[in-house]
Formats: sequence, C-alpha cells, structure tokens
Amino acid sequence: MSSLFDLPFEEPEPAPADAPVARERQRTVLTVSELTSRIRDILENAYADVWVEAEVSNCRLWNTGHLYFTLKDPGAQLKAVMFKSAVRSLRFKPEDGLHVVVRGRLSVYEPKGEYQLVCEHMEPHGLGALQLAFDQLKRRLQAEGLFDTARKRPLPALPRKIGIVTSLDGAAIRDMIKVLGRRYPNAHLVIRPSRVQGEGAAADVARGLTAIVKVPGIDVVIVGRGGGSIEDLWAFNEEVVARAIVASPVPVISAVGHEVDFTIADFAADVRAPTPSAAAEIVVVRKEDFCSHIERLGERLAGAARGSIARLESRVHQLNRRPGFAGWSARLAMRGRHCAETTHALRHAAYAVVNRRRRAYQSLKAQLDQYDLQRRLGTIRTRLVRGENALRAAATYGHHRAEARLHTCAARLDSLSPLAVLGRGYAVVWNESRTRVIRKATETKPGDTLRVTLSDGELKCDVTEN
Amino acid sequence: MDSTIKDFEAAIAELEGIVKKLEEGDLALEKSLELYERGVQLSRFCHTRLEEAEKRIEILNDRGELRPAGAMFSKDDGK
Repeated sequence: MSSLFDLPFEEPEPAPADAPVARERQRTVLTVSELTSRIRDILENAYADVWVEAEVSNCRLWNTGHLYFTLKDPGAQLKAVMFKSAVRSLRFKPEDGLHVVVRGRLSVYEPKGEYQLVCEHMEPHGLGALQLAFDQLKRRLQAEGLFDTARKRPLPALPRKIGIVTSLDGAAIRDMIKVLGRRYPNAHLVIRPSRVQGEGAAADVARGLTAIVKVPGIDVVIVGRGGGSIEDLWAFNEEVVARAIVASPVPVISAVGHEVDFTIADFAADVRAPTPSAAAEIVVVRKEDFCSHIERLGERLAGAARGSIARLESRVHQLNRRPGFAGWSARLAMRGRHCAETTHALRHAAYAVVNRRRRAYQSLKAQLDQYDLQRRLGTIRTRLVRGENALRAAATYGHHRAEARLHTCAARLDSLSPLAVLGRGYAVVWNESRTRVIRKATETKPGDTLRVTLSDGELKCDVTEN
Repeated sequence: MDSTIKDFEAAIAELEGIVKKLEEGDLALEKSLELYERGVQLSRFCHTRLEEAEKRIEILNDRGELRPAGAMFSKDDGK
C-alpha cells in the first residue's frame, strides 16, 4: 500500500480545539468485529454485482481449482478470487498482464480484515474471450511444433478412397459431393457424420477423424463445415480436434467456413482449404487433366522411343560413310557376291544329283513294273526241287565212299597189329613190371626176370646167361 | 496388377522419368526399347487406375460399420 502514501496528502481543515469534547458526548465504541461486520454489510450490499476493468497479476491456480489473483491499475490493487466452477467455464487461460473485465461481488474476510472481489465472470478486454482462447491455443500448439511445415504431408495424386468428417445436414457435404462428382465421377467417398457445432462437437469431430482413418483404403480425409460465426466454428478451434488431425496417419484437408476464417484445425491440417467446395477441388485433380496428362506422356514416350531409334539409325549411316568403313563395306560386298555365286553353283550341283537319282529311280521302277512274279516263283520252286535231289544223291554217295574207306583202313590196321606179327612167330620181351620193351640183350643181366608175350599168352622167364 | 508398380503416384513419377530419359536420348537401343516397354506398361496402369474405382458413397456409422449412403445424396448427382 505504499502508493497510498505517495499521494499528495490533502488534509481537511484542522478541527477546532474543542472538538474532542463535543465528540466525547456522543461517542459510541465498537469492537473490531462489530466495525468489520458493519463494513462488510455496507460493502457487500453496495457492491453485490460490480464490473471492474483491470490488469491481472499474481495469478495462481490452486490445487483446489480456485484461481487467486490481483486486479490492479496504476492507482490501486484489489484482491480477487474465482472459484472452481467459474474457472471451468473460461475458454481462455487467465494469466499475468492480461487486461480483463470481470464481474463479481465484493466480499469481506473478517478474520483478516481484508476484502476481495469474488469473480463470477471474466473476459479479455478489447478482444473477445474466444479470440484470446484461440490465440493462446495457437501459440501453445505452435510452440509444440504441431503446425510445422515439415510435418505437412503431400496429398495422394489419385486418392483410392476419400474420407469426409462433417455434418450430413447443411450445404457443406452436398457441395463437396457435387464438386467431386463433377471432377472425378468415379470417386469413392466414405462419410463419417459428425456434429460440427455446439456442446460436444469438438469431441465428436475428433472421434470421427480417429475412426475414419482406420477404414482400409482411405488415403486422405477432409474435415470441415460451412461458414458461420466464431462461436459456430468453435469446435474447430479446440485442442482435441487439432490433436486428432495431427495424429492421423493420412493427410488431412481442413475445410472450415468462408475464406477469411482461420481455425486451429486449419493450422494443424496438412492442407487448408478455404471452403468445403475448395477442399473437394483440392483433393482430386480433374480426371480429364489426369487422362490428358497420361495421354501426353504416352505420346512423348512413343515419340522419344522413335527419336531414340532414329538417332541410332543416323549414327549407323554416319559410320557407314566413314572412309575406313567404306573400304570394308566394299570388301563385304565382294564377299557377298562370292557367296552368292557359290550358293548358285551349289544349288546347281544339288539339282544335278537329285536329277540323276530321280532317273535311276524311275528306271528301277519301270523294271519292277515289268517283273512277272508268278513265273519267277515257278523258277524258284524248280530250282528248289533240283537242289533237293542233288543233295540226296550227294548224301548217298558219301555214305558208300565212307564204307569202302573203312574197309581199307581195317585191313591196313590188321597188317600193322603187333598181334599179327606174334602170329608169325615173333615175341615181345618186357621187363618184369611190363613197363619197358627189352630191345637188346645187353639190357638184361643174369638173374633178371623178364616177361615174354607170345601170340596166345605170356611167359615169365629168368635170365641165366647173356 | 503389375507387382513392380507401387501406386498411381509412383507410376506417374516413373513414367515422367522414363519419358525424360528417352527424350534426352543417348541410350543404347536395348535400353531405350526396355524403357519404352516399361513406359507403356506404366501408362496402361495409370489408365486402369483412373477407371477402376466405381462411384460409391458410404457412411461410416458409430459402430464402425460402412453402409451405402443410398438415396441420401444421389438427388444431387445430376446437378
């Protein structure tokens, strides 16, 4: 309270000297409690509903949920409190230095002899509470990096399925369907209906986003609604929506309101479209554009391929004209002629062989045609019979000859037989064991036993003298 | 569809690259024919993809089920 003493002291006119006596007569003595109670009655009655404009300082949110702060201006300070229930309804976060307008009642805390303002409502001075809330959230999410350009993902060139989170009522969805139908007639849309304004809308939009990105094939999502007041659009300024957009695995296009309104969702989205129709135009390039682009690419492809071959061809021609190559090419031509001639000769030779063979064949065939098979068979049979007879005769003759030869042999054998010689008076002398023929007298000595074979038998003899 | 083509974006990008490379020239004959063949394949793929999706509008309900939107929006189609 030092400032109080800094003010110029404006003392009223000094009271006359007899004044204390006069006051003594009518004096009433109060206790501190009585006085405080009276002050309390006066203050609380007089200021039961008051608006105050001030700057917030010493702002502290207690664990209990109550907010304690000081309201001040250059000349004075006022203690203030805002209870939990009122704090909860604040869209923005009170902070030091904030210029606010509050509404409340004055309350005296007797034990400490203090008074304070119990605030029921607080709004930023100058700009609206929503705008402030917007600025605060934007600053916070920006600091977190949620709006970074590096986070923005490119849209698919040709989406397989387009997800849309919006209300089924209202122009937004119809505009989008109309534009998509025009640009890309066979587009596949999946719509997640959602409340887009009022209590719980933000949570509904966030839930819708989380659900739709799980549909297989969805590769881009549009989230939005038509234009409206800042209060109408508020759902798209809430943190839960921004976080759901950031968490989406596929790119998200925000499409809220008309042109000038930027929402937190716009900052968080990968692409911001000023209106739902614009989002539908952004999400797919016109199908005809695609087709003609591919068509052009196809033409350029064919042209380039042709050009590529033409270039190679002209290179071959150039090489052909080089002097080194020209000589070679003449040699090649000569070889070519030689080759052709050889081929020609070869073909002639081949024809000659074939013709010769053909003639031989034809004459053989003629012979064969004249051949009388019957007669030929008769001849063969005659020859066969003749052959048989000859064979038989030969066999008989052979037999007789063999007999005669046998007789001759037997006679000669007889004459050679040693037995025949023995019959004429000769004898054969053997040693005793009959293993050796004794041809000379000297082969024996007196006392040896010899065996003598005669024509009719054998003698055993002893040598007595030799 | 051809397993060597990832998606529409990839196909267009590759096709553009091939056209550029061919237009720059200076390629071996085999290489340019190979590129040309690939290019034709890619452009066919793109055409097919452009036509393959059929017009459909579905509603994703609270239970996570997909239902045809039916007559809800078909009125606006002709406009």
